[in-house]
Amino acid sequence: MSTRPRSKTRTPVRLFCALLGMLAAGPDPQAQRPSEYDVEAAYLYNFGKFVRWSPDASSNQKTFDICILGQDPFGNALDRVINGDQIEGRAIRERTLARASDAAGCAIVYIADSEEKTLRRTIAILGGKGQLLVSTLPHFLEQGGMIQFVIDEDRVRFAVNLDTVANSGLSVSSELLKVAVKVVGKPREGLLP
Amino acid sequence: MKPLFRAKSISVKLTWLNLLVTGTALLLACLSFLVYDFLSYRDNLIENLLAEAQIAGTNSITALIFNDQQAAQATLDGLRNSPDVVRAILITQSGRIFAEYNRPGTAEQMDLPRMDLHATQSEWTHGSQVLVSYRVVFSGRPVGVVYIQAHFGELGHRVRRYGMIAALILLFCMGAAVLATAAFRRLVTRPIIALAETARVISREKDFSVRASTAADQDEIAVLVEAFNEMLGEIQNRDYALQESRAMLEKRVQERTAELQAANRELEAFSYSVAHDLRGPLDTIGNASYLLRNTDLSNLDGQARELLELLPRTTKRMSALIDDLLNLSRAKSAPLHKEPIDLSALAAAIMQDLAMGDPERQVEVLVSPPRTNVIADQGLMRIVLYNLLCNAWKYTSKATSAHIEFGSMQADGETVFFVRDNGAGFDPRFQDRLFQPFQRLHAQSEFSGTGIGLATVYRIIVRHGGRIWAESELEHGATFFFTLP
Repeated sequence: MSTRPRSKTRTPVRLFCALLGMLAAGPDPQAQRPSEYDVEAAYLYNFGKFVRWSPDASSNQKTFDICILGQDPFGNALDRVINGDQIEGRAIRERTLARASDAAGCAIVYIADSEEKTLRRTIAILGGKGQLLVSTLPHFLEQGGMIQFVIDEDRVRFAVNLDTVANSGLSVSSELLKVAVKVVGKPREGLLP
Repeated sequence: MKPLFRAKSISVKLTWLNLLVTGTALLLACLSFLVYDFLSYRDNLIENLLAEAQIAGTNSITALIFNDQQAAQATLDGLRNSPDVVRAILITQSGRIFAEYNRPGTAEQMDLPRMDLHATQSEWTHGSQVLVSYRVVFSGRPVGVVYIQAHFGELGHRVRRYGMIAALILLFCMGAAVLATAAFRRLVTRPIIALAETARVISREKDFSVRASTAADQDEIAVLVEAFNEMLGEIQNRDYALQESRAMLEKRVQERTAELQAANRELEAFSYSVAHDLRGPLDTIGNASYLLRNTDLSNLDGQARELLELLPRTTKRMSALIDDLLNLSRAKSAPLHKEPIDLSALAAAIMQDLAMGDPERQVEVLVSPPRTNVIADQGLMRIVLYNLLCNAWKYTSKATSAHIEFGSMQADGETVFFVRDNGAGFDPRFQDRLFQPFQRLHAQSEFSGTGIGLATVYRIIVRHGGRIWAESELEHGATFFFTLP
């Protein structure tokens, strides 16, 4: 596992999600690989489907908010992925947050690279409130984060900290853990889906 | 098939029929079982493959979503425990091969056909290969497709197994057919065979007292046997009646024959004694007339002398008549002493005697062939030839140049003897009276005779088992033919 050298080139949006509608056909040599951000946007959206949400934290919300704290790296990639989908009967909505204190009602909070310096404080504010904290920042998990994107063999993977997830009153599907590149912490009995 | 049904025994035919029927039924049953088994096996295989594709696809959802090829590979590798699966491929929604499993040593790889847009699963078969696909859907969105290829690996094995089972059952059925034939033989064919054997014995030995053994059953064969036996009884009854009537007839014939023989003997004895007894007084009359002629007859007038002249002539004729009668009687009753004799020599001797007895006549005589050997009674044959030649001599007496011939010829494989003359002949209309006694075709004044000679000849020839007939025309001579066996 290595922290990534982040590519600055933004691939013209040949989006992974755009391919979702395509038929399963023979491999298309013209298809370009989606960018890391496209992949991460898709992952972010999909995390929502493999996490059991604590009822008290978000049941009063009418929307399922995926929030981006700091400078949004995804552009419209996340919107394309969401594409009007719902989770637990709630419409998925993308929000960008200026400050950590604005995170109320967010189900997933993505802490952008721009927040690196205030990360510890941000985690202190957001942790343990039933919100899934995701970031690409290095040492995110050690500092109290829950899911951290990593680049493994030139592919976007992720690592999970079960302890911080559990402390927040959430549980992560074992299916998700199966594909995680790394899982830290101990699984809590009865909390696994 | 043809020689099979030419078999001579019903039981063999039944055995073959049995085997044919059971064999055909078994073959058809095996075939239908095989087809059914193949179809259900194929359906099962496809169903199992689809289930496996579904499980693999479901287990690969997160791997697809989160781009974890290792996890997907691990899932597909799990299919190695399914023996039919030769290949499994997970394809992303973009059409990229995400993970692939190939069973080692797999021969044929099927092309991956395009799945129908709306189908969740599809199946294709190509030869012994089958391919199923399953669309992986997560929360309403398709994320990829799982293809699994398998082959009907067990099929050949199954056909062999069915073949072996069919062969075993067929063998068993053959045994059963043979056993059934034994039962058939007892129930059906044995009575028929017994009946046929009885019929054969009867037709060979003509013994109608034989009866076919009746069975305890009341089936058609029993009816047949019963009818057969009844028929035999009827034949036997008729046979018996026939024999009885024949015996009766024979007995009646014997009685009649005995009666006739007795009457005949009586008659012969009578005629013999008459002839014999007549001779005594006749001799006396002959002697008396002889003595009378030697005495002085000068005192008698012409008419008395004429009457006296008549006496020895008449006596002589009567004597000849009695001789002939005695000959006829002898020809009827005297026992035959058959021996080889030469008819030609006999005829020549008789002709010589006749010529010596009447030296004034000029008669051309021809006897040929020089030797004629037959087996006959010499004395009787002498009478025959004497009578025939004597007749010829007599009836040629008025011919200008008399000609008499004795000879033989071959006709229809037998030797026919004949005596031919160129004398007076006879009217062929009266031919049937020729050989009857006391029947004369010429007036006594024309040719003298007793009318007994030819009857005697006829009797002798018939007694020898031969035939005699004559051909003639008035004034153109006559030919008498006879045969001797």
